[in-house]
Amino acid sequence: MFSLSIILNWLLPLLYLALLVDYGATFFLRTKTQARNPWLIPVIGIHAFFLILRSVQLGQVPLADMYEILSVLALLTTAVYAVVEFASRDRRTGMFVFLLVFLFQYTSSNFLAGTIMAEGVAEVESQSAGCDRLHIILALAAYTAFAISAVYGMLHLLAERNLRKHRFGVLFDRLPSLDLLGRMTWHALLGGFIFITITIITAPLLLGHGGSGATAQSLDAKVIVKIVIGSIAWLVYVVAVLGKLLGKWTSRRISSIAVTGFVVIMILLIVSGILS
Amino acid sequence: MEISVIGINHRSAAVDVRERFALPNDLAKKLLQAIRAEKIFSEALVLDTCNRTEVYFVSKTQQDSLAHLLGHITQLKQTPPLADTSVFYHHQGLDVVRHLFRVAGTLDSQMVGEHQILGQLKDAYRLALDAGTTRFLLNKLLHWAFRVGKRVQTQTQLGRGSVSIATSAVELAGQIFSKLSGKTVLLVGAGETAELVAKALLRSGVNELIVANRTLSRAERLADDFVQNVRAKNLKAKTVCPASLDEQNKVGPELAGPKAEHGSSTGSQQSLRTRAIGLDEIPAVVGGVDLLICSTGSSEPVLTYQNMANSLRHENHPLLIIDISVPRNVEARLGDLPNVFLYNIDDLDMLVARNLERRREEIPRAEAIIDDEVEQFGKWLNSLQVAPTVKLLQQHFEQLKQAQIVRYGRKFASSEQKDLEEFSRGLCSKILHKPITFLRDLTADSADSEALAIIDAIRQMFDLDTLEQNE
Repeated sequence: MFSLSIILNWLLPLLYLALLVDYGATFFLRTKTQARNPWLIPVIGIHAFFLILRSVQLGQVPLADMYEILSVLALLTTAVYAVVEFASRDRRTGMFVFLLVFLFQYTSSNFLAGTIMAEGVAEVESQSAGCDRLHIILALAAYTAFAISAVYGMLHLLAERNLRKHRFGVLFDRLPSLDLLGRMTWHALLGGFIFITITIITAPLLLGHGGSGATAQSLDAKVIVKIVIGSIAWLVYVVAVLGKLLGKWTSRRISSIAVTGFVVIMILLIVSGILS
Repeated sequence: MEISVIGINHRSAAVDVRERFALPNDLAKKLLQAIRAEKIFSEALVLDTCNRTEVYFVSKTQQDSLAHLLGHITQLKQTPPLADTSVFYHHQGLDVVRHLFRVAGTLDSQMVGEHQILGQLKDAYRLALDAGTTRFLLNKLLHWAFRVGKRVQTQTQLGRGSVSIATSAVELAGQIFSKLSGKTVLLVGAGETAELVAKALLRSGVNELIVANRTLSRAERLADDFVQNVRAKNLKAKTVCPASLDEQNKVGPELAGPKAEHGSSTGSQQSLRTRAIGLDEIPAVVGGVDLLICSTGSSEPVLTYQNMANSLRHENHPLLIIDISVPRNVEARLGDLPNVFLYNIDDLDMLVARNLERRREEIPRAEAIIDDEVEQFGKWLNSLQVAPTVKLLQQHFEQLKQAQIVRYGRKFASSEQKDLEEFSRGLCSKILHKPITFLRDLTADSADSEALAIIDAIRQMFDLDTLEQNE
């Protein structure tokens, strides 16, 4: 079973790389731009199977550290993108989403490789309980939405820059309209904000009554880091939400916040992961 | 029996000659009925567009088809006969196939890549079907041509991108707005190109138009003319000539209803609301506008940063400004405002030139597809010859015979093997005798469409094409 985990752990980045190449071909060669990608569902299935396998091995959902979370984030981003693609029948933005997904999964697989090998000889220690899982899943849903918001925000900024400079090149031909990119950025950001708000509000309830004992008395450095990152994310995005709803901020400003906010979160998550 | 085409197009003749031989639907129908009645051609189809009039036909005899057809057309149109017939082209055999595939693939069009021709070809086919003048060969050829047209459309970039100023403005708008319905257009001035752009935008779904002019009465008249004009000209359900795209832009969609302020729509027809304002009112309305087209005869900027910036600075929705005037009427600084996208006539020209260049680059790919399809069609046509079909049929039965002997031969003693072989051969010969005689008699009858259809059916029945490929 551990051998299978190792194989899948290295297979997943390759699969996402293949998808990235496929979407790259769609973007650059403008082929099958309006068709659904038949490989999305099988890749999601394989990734889900890998995570289930890991759960069986670990005796818990694999959300214990930064790198396991990145893998779940890759799967969730792919799943959300699959829904978007299936609904819009437009795969022109897939390359950008899978660039991010590939980086998530590659980073995750790279660091998890050593862990899985170690688990093969050592007994796995169960770390947390059901309420923790719910809390983590809510947080992951928020970060996934922020990731997608950042991708579409970046595309929006690129497209706008091109239109302003009157460049009728690759992006002019291949990207969806500015209007649509702006809407996708905003909706994803709003979704992420709702999830992170729920995550923060329910955290004391879920973690306080959970089996992990992460109460106010037992807050360790890792938990404090997570609280700080969550709070910073919430603050960044609440500004964007209020600006859009009350200040009628432009799509460009929302896109800039979506990109900047996500970059800040990623840096904080990676730094905290390395330090811990 | 051979397929032929006789025709006249934008390359072979000027418009004054072409219009003498144009065959609108009613005349095309009469011509097809006449052809059917006299039975000189076994199949016929008339393709008539703005740039071409062509008659495709299948005939058994090598008579002077051109003179014959021209006689019919001059009689139908009651025009004097043409002295110089060199303006007509006459192709036969696979040249017809190549010509038709090029037509379907838009390579023979005046504006390469405008795929409306495929719709026109389908209309022509429908007309011939109704007149009962298409049979096996033209049916096959036309369906093949539709497939070629579709293949060129999907496998090349030949039809991508706008190639007129008006449609390039729509293409630009499409880069900013996901849909144009519900958007408001402000037309400043009364330039002809600006009007074409406005109409192209209206066709794409825009249904609110504000017309601004130096004098209000002139603006009102323009707005009214606009509604009357587009109401009068109905493009609905009409396939337009690809080469006259700019002409198309001079015609609006079927728009209904009284004017906005002056009124709206009726039933399911597209509605148009118009409003007339003076130039001094522009700053007051520009905040609610999504697309602004400017084309005045002024030598000074009409829309300046000073009088527009305040109205636009606080807007959070994009504004696309297309300045078609020369000299420019929109101050360039307006393009620096956060949500303003400012383009001038040079930008649109650049977009058109780029798209035309891209289409040109795609022509070799389209030609390759057509070469491939002509080759395939040629192979298919050759396969309908009697001699190779008879040979394949004999081979097929020989294979069946051998297979059965191998399968059941061991049940017979070795002394009986020879008898078994002879029995099998005799049986196959007897079975094949009548079908082969029948096929050879088809050749004697010069193989008309029915004969080809029979051969095709036999080949399919015994899967002879697979056998031929395996050889």
